Amino acid sequence: MRRGNSLIQHIDWWLLVIVVIMLGMGIANVYSAAYNPDHPDIFDFSQKYGKQIMWVGISGFLGFLVFLIDSDIYRKFAVPIYLFCFSLLIVVLFTPPINGARAWLGIGSLGIQPAEFMKIGTAIALSRYISTVNVKNQNIRTVLIALAIVMVPMVLILLQPDAGTFVVFTSFFFVLYREGITFDPLVLKIVNIFPGVRFKETWVGSHFIPILFYVVFLSVVTLLMSRNKYEFTFMRGVLIPGFYGVVTVITVIAFIAYLILRWISSKRDHRRVLLVIISGWVLSVAVSATVNFSFSSLAPHQKDRIELVLGLRKDDDGKDYNRNRAMAAVGSGGLFGKGYKKASVASVRSNHVPESETDFIFCPLAEEWGFMGSLAIVILFMGMLFRIIVIAERQRSTFNRVYAYCVAMIVFYHFAVNIGMNIGLAPVIGIPLPFFSYGGSSLMSFSMLLFILLKLDSQRRDVLF
Amino acid sequence: MNLGGRKYVILVFFTLVGSIYLIRLFFMQVVDDSWKLRAQEIAEKRKEITPPRGIVFDRNGKKVVTNRSYYNLMMKEEDIHDFDTVAFAKLVGWTKQEVKDRFYQIRKGEGKYRNKNTGKVQENYQKQRAYPFIKELTIDEITRIAPHLEKFPGFFEDLTSMRNYPYAGGANIFGYLNEVSKEEIEEDRFYRPGDQIGRAGIERYYEKQLRGRKGIKYIVTSALNNAIESYADGKYDTLAQQGPALHLGLDIQLQVYGEKLMQNKRGCIVAIEPKTGEILSLVSAPSFDPNILVGRRNIGMNYPKLLLDEGKPLYPRPLAAEYPPGSVFKLLQSLIGLQEGVITPESGFPCTKSMVGCHNHPNATNLPDGIKYSCNPYFYYVMRRIIQQGKKRSIFADAELGLNEWYDYIMSFGLGSQFETDVTGMRPGLIPNSAYYDKWYGHNTWAFSTIRSISIGQGEVKVTPLQMANIVAIIANRGWYYTPHFVRSIGNDGPLPQFKVVHKTKIEPVHYDPIIEGMRRVCYEAGGTGKRAVVEGITVCGKTGTAQNPHGEDHSVFIAFAPMENPKIAIAVFIENAGFGGVWAAPTASLMIEKYLNRKVKDKAKEQMIVSANLLNIKAKPKKKK
Repeated sequence: MRRGNSLIQHIDWWLLVIVVIMLGMGIANVYSAAYNPDHPDIFDFSQKYGKQIMWVGISGFLGFLVFLIDSDIYRKFAVPIYLFCFSLLIVVLFTPPINGARAWLGIGSLGIQPAEFMKIGTAIALSRYISTVNVKNQNIRTVLIALAIVMVPMVLILLQPDAGTFVVFTSFFFVLYREGITFDPLVLKIVNIFPGVRFKETWVGSHFIPILFYVVFLSVVTLLMSRNKYEFTFMRGVLIPGFYGVVTVITVIAFIAYLILRWISSKRDHRRVLLVIISGWVLSVAVSATVNFSFSSLAPHQKDRIELVLGLRKDDDGKDYNRNRAMAAVGSGGLFGKGYKKASVASVRSNHVPESETDFIFCPLAEEWGFMGSLAIVILFMGMLFRIIVIAERQRSTFNRVYAYCVAMIVFYHFAVNIGMNIGLAPVIGIPLPFFSYGGSSLMSFSMLLFILLKLDSQRRDVLF
Repeated sequence: MNLGGRKYVILVFFTLVGSIYLIRLFFMQVVDDSWKLRAQEIAEKRKEITPPRGIVFDRNGKKVVTNRSYYNLMMKEEDIHDFDTVAFAKLVGWTKQEVKDRFYQIRKGEGKYRNKNTGKVQENYQKQRAYPFIKELTIDEITRIAPHLEKFPGFFEDLTSMRNYPYAGGANIFGYLNEVSKEEIEEDRFYRPGDQIGRAGIERYYEKQLRGRKGIKYIVTSALNNAIESYADGKYDTLAQQGPALHLGLDIQLQVYGEKLMQNKRGCIVAIEPKTGEILSLVSAPSFDPNILVGRRNIGMNYPKLLLDEGKPLYPRPLAAEYPPGSVFKLLQSLIGLQEGVITPESGFPCTKSMVGCHNHPNATNLPDGIKYSCNPYFYYVMRRIIQQGKKRSIFADAELGLNEWYDYIMSFGLGSQFETDVTGMRPGLIPNSAYYDKWYGHNTWAFSTIRSISIGQGEVKVTPLQMANIVAIIANRGWYYTPHFVRSIGNDGPLPQFKVVHKTKIEPVHYDPIIEGMRRVCYEAGGTGKRAVVEGITVCGKTGTAQNPHGEDHSVFIAFAPMENPKIAIAVFIENAGFGGVWAAPTASLMIEKYLNRKVKDKAKEQMIVSANLLNIKAKPKKKK
């Protein structure tokens, strides 16, 4: 009885309400995106919207079960849960492939994707492991175990193959970063080989993940920009080659960053700020120059491939078909959209946007509700992410906090990649938009991720250590 | 290590991505319109519905150009399966190889377009699109094929409309239709590949009216190019509108009759209603049935034949053949002489034959007789008085002044230039002025004696039969004309504005009386050259002519109007290589007049003579009757 009361009292209503709103919008959206005039009933279980309602029901039931079970079970049984999901991931590799991937386990249309549940398993296992590690005493072994927990499932997922989920698993690296499991021991091992060198920590090693992402991001931007020529509005006719455009942008950003940092830092740090900015500028330009130079020295067919991946090559009706159609659907929405069930590009009847009820579910939404709809979605996801971070930071136990960060990063990845590919800012990788895309596995795994978090959070005061 | 600070790294990262996405979405959805256009390109198709072309009526309300249903046998490759080439070839009456070739042709050729950005020709054949496999099947052909089409999935019939000519005449007037060329499509956005466009005659001149307005249906299409639904419930759709009917001044029965009279002859007949300038008939012989140029297959088969035909049936003789007008020109010289006051109706000139030859006839003692006898010396003297009026001391300067005055008179008859009218393919003819002769002979080196042959309509002067008929209409009207034209009304809107403008000649009406009297005497008095032109019960005024032809036998020319009291038809007949005008051209003109005014011809013997005459190979077998 006491427990029941605490459940109601301590549940995070903000997050729950956001999830419920998303589920409601998701059903309405799938109804529009997969609408079949021969079966107008939204509860018609032969149709995707009917099935989606069924999946929402099942997910709700699973969530209810999660609430009945004591949250400590996840910490205690983290390893068995991980191994169970892992075994499913192995079993699925021996099934016949569907659409070229061995991703489905089950009968007929009621299959599940073990990779989706592996996310939960990995999140729990990682949380459990990090909670046992003393961050201040980490060594190569701790880093390697943490990496193994994440990367062994990634290898299996790549064997299916399922590039989308594979990419999503890299979100765990950000969790490692947040928790201070750095790559520093590895970097130190290499650096300290040289005689006379005895570093205790390196900046690159401890910020390895953000630096890696920055380098990748900068490389892509360099490749995208360096092919064009630019001119300033106040200097018409003077064309700036792309690479110098990149350098200009880096310089401007560095200058603005310097002003901001100088403003917020104390006076005695001003010299340090200047030094950091200058070294950052030099490193960025160096990375950019290296990428630019190595790209121009590539063989033509290698260039071709990179250009295609980056979408530099216009191939609207060929290799770039999906993204072009998706962007046309989103872009044609206008401010207020075309109206519910009025999509002309992304509707299931016209079928210009493939998979408009799963991976490209954002298309019909953005087309029918316009920028207002897009705004609502982005705000909902931002709200959900910020709320999860708030929840994470108020946990007493490391396990809970790490788990919450795992959830936040997974949701963020799905959000960023899925919407990004709909608006041409991310490569087309087939991953669902949480709570919106049609599909049982995705819905169930995200519900369980969230409900486990809610349960952990509601019981955060019970934790004694 | 300060791990607490790292949560801010993540929060900043989230915020950054969220803001970038919102800004990007705002630009894509609200600011930038290019994605909306792209979406229209992808999902909305304009389906154009081409209306049947406007109908053409003759002056009596008879349909002369109509539309008839044809069928295209369409194919959609996506739906084709288990295709039996042999059975299909048998069904459509082709060989197996022809069927295979046609498939190849469609796959390679259809949907080809020039990429605007690269300038390269790109193939755009799509399996899910329907293409015409065989075009323009008649109802008979499709009713034979259609019942068996269910054995050939992917093939179906599609209705189209093409021209039909109930009367097998007037091909040179109506022109014909053909598929638009790539250049025409680029020039005028109205057209789409496969559309028809007027290629000649009134079909071309009135193309913009006859083609009507296309209807546009906006439809939402799927990725497979199937229409799903009409866009915005058809709010923006427009209906196809057939072009307005054209009402011609043409009398189709007279036209067909004229073509019958002119069979086995080369030449032309132009008939004009003097009061309105409407062209009643415009026969160009040899003629052909306009129905043989309907549709691609017919054009492909028959057009080269017509082009290579010895008789040049595609050459618009009444408009483009520039003949020396011959004696008919004497009428104009008389009028100018009277207006200039250098002669009177009572002037007489001896038939001296010293400067120009003549046939044997009594001396003309007055102007009407001069016309009746068509006396060459008579008009030599008339012309000399016009040219050499003695206003300047130098004979050369005097001739220059006289010729240029004469030129102004002639030009007021619409000669030497093209009419601004709906009759296309005209040549201007030629009327020489002083500049012309200066170029030939040099300034002040020529006088009347140099250019005397123009006095009897020979030499440099060239006139088209249409201009000739217009001269007759002017005489019948006593001094004015409307520009000769075909269309008396577009729909109910009346003719084009330029056909309502009266053109006056520089000759006063009173001077026409002796000329008309002379033309009457040509047909009715002893010694007249055109007595074969008389029609029972109708007073015909005419004038024979013989256009000298350096290449062979002279051309037979006759012009006339009737009835004398109230002229209703002005006509010019040219028969090539038929010799003196009175023999063949005059009776032909009389039959046309009789047909038009009485609606039927009593003089069956005359009719039979003309119809059966073969004047094509006149040099080898003169006047051989069939």
